[in-house]
Amino acid sequence: MTDFKDFMENIQAVLKSKRKKLMAVTILFVLVIVLGFICLFVGSSHMSFSDCIDALLGTGSPASVRIIRNIRIPRVLAAIIAGAGLSVSGLIMQTNLNNPMASPATLGVSNAAVFGANLSIIAFAGGFLSTGNNLNSFSVGANPYATSFMAFVFSTLSIILILGLCRLRSFRPGVVVLAGIAIGSIWTAATTILQFYATDVGLSAAVIWTFGDLGRATYKTDIIMAVTVAVGIVFFILMSWKFNALLSGDAAASGMGVNVNRLRFVSMLLASVITAVCVSYLGIIGFVGIICPHVVKKFLGQDHRFTIPACVFAGSILLLLADTVSRSMGNGSALPVGAITSLLGAPFFLIIILFRKGDRA
Amino acid sequence: MILEIKDLRFGYSKRSPLVLDGVNLELDKGEIGVLLGKNGSGKTTLFKNILGLVKPASGNILFKGKDLLKIKGNERAKHISYVPQNAEFGSLSVFDTVLMGRMPYFGLRSGSSDEEKTAEMLKEMGMEHLASRNVEELSGGERQKTAIARALVQEPEFMIFDEPTGNLDIANEQLILKEAGRVAKEKGIGILTSLHDINQALAVGDRFFFLKNGRILYSGDSSIVSKEIIEDVFDAKVNLIEHEGKKVVLNY
Repeated sequence: MTDFKDFMENIQAVLKSKRKKLMAVTILFVLVIVLGFICLFVGSSHMSFSDCIDALLGTGSPASVRIIRNIRIPRVLAAIIAGAGLSVSGLIMQTNLNNPMASPATLGVSNAAVFGANLSIIAFAGGFLSTGNNLNSFSVGANPYATSFMAFVFSTLSIILILGLCRLRSFRPGVVVLAGIAIGSIWTAATTILQFYATDVGLSAAVIWTFGDLGRATYKTDIIMAVTVAVGIVFFILMSWKFNALLSGDAAASGMGVNVNRLRFVSMLLASVITAVCVSYLGIIGFVGIICPHVVKKFLGQDHRFTIPACVFAGSILLLLADTVSRSMGNGSALPVGAITSLLGAPFFLIIILFRKGDRA
Repeated sequence: MILEIKDLRFGYSKRSPLVLDGVNLELDKGEIGVLLGKNGSGKTTLFKNILGLVKPASGNILFKGKDLLKIKGNERAKHISYVPQNAEFGSLSVFDTVLMGRMPYFGLRSGSSDEEKTAEMLKEMGMEHLASRNVEELSGGERQKTAIARALVQEPEFMIFDEPTGNLDIANEQLILKEAGRVAKEKGIGILTSLHDINQALAVGDRFFFLKNGRILYSGDSSIVSKEIIEDVFDAKVNLIEHEGKKVVLNY
C-alpha cells in the first residue's frame, strides 16, 4: 500500500513538473505579446504614448501613423519572427549535432550570406545600389531585395554543399560540424578577398550590411520569414519525441524506430533555411541561437516538447529587448542589434552556466 | 528461429575493408546469445546492422523469417529493442525517458495507454520511486535499468544489449545480468548481447558466438568454450578451470 502511495506521489510529481514547464512556456508567450506591444511605443522619433495609441488606431497624424504602421510594426514583427527562428534553429542544431556550441553559424550559413551580400554590394554595386560618396546615404537602395537575394542564394548553396557532403558520411555529427567550419572559412576568405578590392564606399556599405538591422524589415519580408519559421517550428514540434530520442545517441534512437539520418538531414536543412532567410533580410544577428537554447535548457531540461516552444518565445523576447535597447541607445540611428543581443544575453548566460547547479528534468 | 543472420557483409565505405565479413548467426526466442570478441571485432557494427542504422553490403537479417531490411523502422522497433552501453538520455525525467520507448506505437503524441504501460513497467522494474527524478542524477546501475525499462516497454520479442555492464561496479553488473536473465526466461524474449567478461557470459549465456575479424569463428552452447578458442579469438593467454561444476576463465 505504501509502495502504491509512493508511486502515485511520484506520478503526481511528474505531472506537476510538466504543468510547471507548461506554465513557464505560457509565461514566455505572454511576455512576447506584452513586450511586442511595449516596443511599439519606443523609437527615435520620441512620439508620446497617446500619439502612439492614436497612430495605432489610425487617428493620429499621417506621420505618426506611417511611423507606427510602416516602421515600428514590421520591425517588432521581424524581432518576434527572427528571434524565434534563430533561437529554435540553434536548439535543433545542438540536438542534432550533439554539440552545445552548435548554432545557426555552425554550418557557415551566416558566412555564406555575408559573402553573397558582399558580392552584391561590392561587385555589382551599380546594378543594385543607389550609392553616393556620402557614407550617410548608404542603404540598400535601388533594389533592396537584390542583396538579400544574393545572400539567400549563397547561404542556400552552402547548406546544400555541406549537407550533400555529409550525406556521404551518414551525417555523423562530428563530420557535419567540421564540414561547416571548413566551408564557412572558405566563405570568410572569399569575403576578405572581395573586400580587399572594394572601394572605401563599397566596403563601408558591405560592412554596414553585416550589422544586423531590424529596420530593413517590411511586411513583405516579415511574411516570407514568418512562413519559413512557422513551417520549421511546426515540423520541429511534431518531431519533439524523436529529438528526445536523439539525446540517447543514434543507435538508441534507431532502436526506437527513428530514421536518424533522414531526421538529421531534414531538420538541419530546415534550421539552416530559417537562418538563411532571416540573415538574408536582416543581416547577421549572432548569439541568439546559442544563448536562448542554453538558458531554456538550464531551466526546463531537455524535453523538446517544452524546450522547442520555450526557445521560440525566448528568442523573440531577446531580440525584442535587444532591438529596443539598440534603438534607444543609437541617438537617432539604431546600434547593430547583433552586438546588443550578445551584450544583453552573454552576461545573463554566463551567470546561469557558472552559478546554477545541474539541469532540471 | 527468431533471428537468423545469413552471410552478412558490411564495410563503412566501398573502399574500406569489410568490418563484417560473412557473419552467420541463429538465435531462438527465450535464448540469450552472447557475442564475444576483441575490441573492434565488429560487435557494435553487427548491432547497427540489425537496428537499421547502417545498410549491409550483402547478406540477410531475418526476423521470424521476414527480411528485417524490408521492415520500416517504426515496425521494427515494435519487435526489436536496444539497450545501449553507458546509457545517456539527456536531461529528462525517468518517467518520460521510459515513456519514450512507446514512440513506435504513439508516433507524435503519447496517449493514456502509453503512460499506463510506462507506469506498469516502472513498477515491474521496481523503479516507481524514481519516476520523477532527473535521469542524469541516477547512478550507473539505475541508468542502465532505465534503459532496460525503456527497451522493455517497447514490448519487443527480441532485445539487443550492447556491453550492458560496461563501467558498472560488481553489484550493478549482477543486477543488470540478473534482469537480462529474468527478461529472457519470464517473457520469452530473445536476447543478443555483447560482453567483455567471459565469466559473465558463461553465467548468463545460452549460446556463444566468438567474433574475430568480422567473422564468427566458433558458435555453440557453453560446451564449446575452451582455453584454445578464447586464446585464438582474443590473442591472449588465459587459463580455464572448473569451479563447482562451472567453467571459470582466469585472466593470467
